[in-house]
Amino acid sequence: MDRQQIGVKLTVDGLNLPFNIDFFMDRLIMQKTVYLAQAAGVNLGYFYHWYLHGPYSPSLTRDEYSIDADVAAGLDDSKGWKLDESSSRRLDGIRTIFSEADRDKLARKLELLASVHFLIDRKQASKADPSRITATLRQFNKPFSEEDVKNAIGELARYGLLAA
Amino acid sequence: MASSRREGSEKIVVDSIHGDVHLTECELKIIDTGSFQRLRNLKQLAMSQMAYPNATHTRFAHSIGVLAIMERITKIAKESGQIKLTKNQEENLRLAALLHDIGHYPYSHLMERIDNVKLIEEQAEGVEEVGKALDRSGIPYPEHDLVGTYIVTMQSDLVDALGGKKRANAVANLFGPKRPTGSEISLQLSMLVHSSLDMDRLDYLLRDSQATGVPYGQIDINYLLNNLKVSPSGRVGISEKAMPAAEQFLLARFFMHRTVYYHKTTFGIEEVCRQLLRRLRDQGKYEIPKDGNKIRSLVTSEALGTFTDAYVDQVIQKAVNDNDRVIQALAKSIQKRRPPKLLAEVNVLVSSEEPGRPHKGTIFTLNCRHKLRQLADDFNIPLQQFILCETPPLRLEKRGRMIAVEEAKSANLNEEEELIKVFVRGEEEPKSLVEIPFSLVSRCAGLFFQSFRLYVVYEGEDKDSIITRLRETIKDWDKG
Repeated sequence: MDRQQIGVKLTVDGLNLPFNIDFFMDRLIMQKTVYLAQAAGVNLGYFYHWYLHGPYSPSLTRDEYSIDADVAAGLDDSKGWKLDESSSRRLDGIRTIFSEADRDKLARKLELLASVHFLIDRKQASKADPSRITATLRQFNKPFSEEDVKNAIGELARYGLLAA
Repeated sequence: MASSRREGSEKIVVDSIHGDVHLTECELKIIDTGSFQRLRNLKQLAMSQMAYPNATHTRFAHSIGVLAIMERITKIAKESGQIKLTKNQEENLRLAALLHDIGHYPYSHLMERIDNVKLIEEQAEGVEEVGKALDRSGIPYPEHDLVGTYIVTMQSDLVDALGGKKRANAVANLFGPKRPTGSEISLQLSMLVHSSLDMDRLDYLLRDSQATGVPYGQIDINYLLNNLKVSPSGRVGISEKAMPAAEQFLLARFFMHRTVYYHKTTFGIEEVCRQLLRRLRDQGKYEIPKDGNKIRSLVTSEALGTFTDAYVDQVIQKAVNDNDRVIQALAKSIQKRRPPKLLAEVNVLVSSEEPGRPHKGTIFTLNCRHKLRQLADDFNIPLQQFILCETPPLRLEKRGRMIAVEEAKSANLNEEEELIKVFVRGEEEPKSLVEIPFSLVSRCAGLFFQSFRLYVVYEGEDKDSIITRLRETIKDWDKG
């Protein structure tokens, strides 16, 4: 694991999530978790573009497989490392976002939060215009209602993830 | 290599791989900017010329090669009739191909990844085991794709050549991390800049193979491109008869990594350079940009033209006379081409389907961490002159432990889109190569190759005997 990968592992551990990429939903959770951690100010260095399930980073996918291979071979390099205090505090502040126990429900929730954040953050839509965000998500066959989007905007704001 | 004439092109450039490349007026303007000319001073293969003397080809030539491939791909996409490209969309795709590497750092990935470098004192046991702080509060160096978007959208010479900010943003979105959100262009075509069968790889394998003289990178590019197809839903793949060409392409990539990109001399000296740069940056020496914000300032300023391989060469030149003994040793190793000596190398071909069993590479790495500090003391060599590193896991296809076929079909996966797809006879939509039971790739998808290495930078008069003794001492470190 290089330092960037160690950062990912510490972030996932810090949010009390298992590091698991066996199934698509696990990898989706991983992608959106790192996205939201970065949105909270933990600079892990991944750059996202919009793809079939919202924000997606191919570099992160590559690193997930590397981390998984190392951990499976008994080489968890994140042991002995810790995140700096400011990043740890930022993770503390968003940990409850990830407390949903059901994997599929968590994946759906994170996909919505990350997608809405991405569209607002990249100026593709305004947070004051949930209907536009909903319409954009529908273009990608996402079954999120306007109510879902409004709730997501509210949740992102509560966690301080949307710029004022 | 093809020779041709085409209406509407302003100029023809002859490329050693693809033959005639037709440039439009706009492309010509872009190539003539200072921002683009910088690519002439970035070697495509970084320090590979230390092992392969002719590997001095540049990002400039590669960028023109990728444009040549894009020209052929857009022609095929249009002729298929399945993807409707407006003139503007086609031009933007060509410009994205031309500009896709505009954001590369000096010595490419070498400098880009210094944030990721682990120093030996952070790995070897014996100091503070708990509490090595990983600072993620600052902005790390951005990936070159993002740097590219900064340059395309903020360097005035490129913005002017592109005809304004609006087009600069549209082009940057095609190759940068902020890709189009749907309707403006086919997602599939934009994936051709980044997927397994992408233009970047098609060009660099051929170009690197020719420049190094290593034949494994040769691929049947004409057959691959001539057999590209587009499905009714707009997905791009190759016809089944071109499967051997696609598999050979993946094998070529695999063997070029093993032979050229992971070459023991190149990999070792690049790791030395990476560690040198990180140490210097951490010490605030020689004005190495301290974080991502500084990189952004640099690449959007007039100083961009100086951000070339020579930028790193000058740092190395200064570091040769540094007061710090370790810094000096690392810098001299590069400047005088005295590559670090490989003390041990453990190669593994591992199945990710069988997790949980430590392999020889793991055992070797753990032994190194446990014993290196003592070894350094015993031989009176500074610990920081030992370089413990591993190559990234190398798979035939981008994804190793692949998703279940049923899952792939139902989930419309992001990752699946990055894999090479094949139109199996009688089916309208293509499948990933890893899903096809008679493909070599499907059988090898769970395997990855990795190399674990320990080098030392040492130039004493007793070098030969010291290296022999070191090798003898660690020869069993891959055993439990």
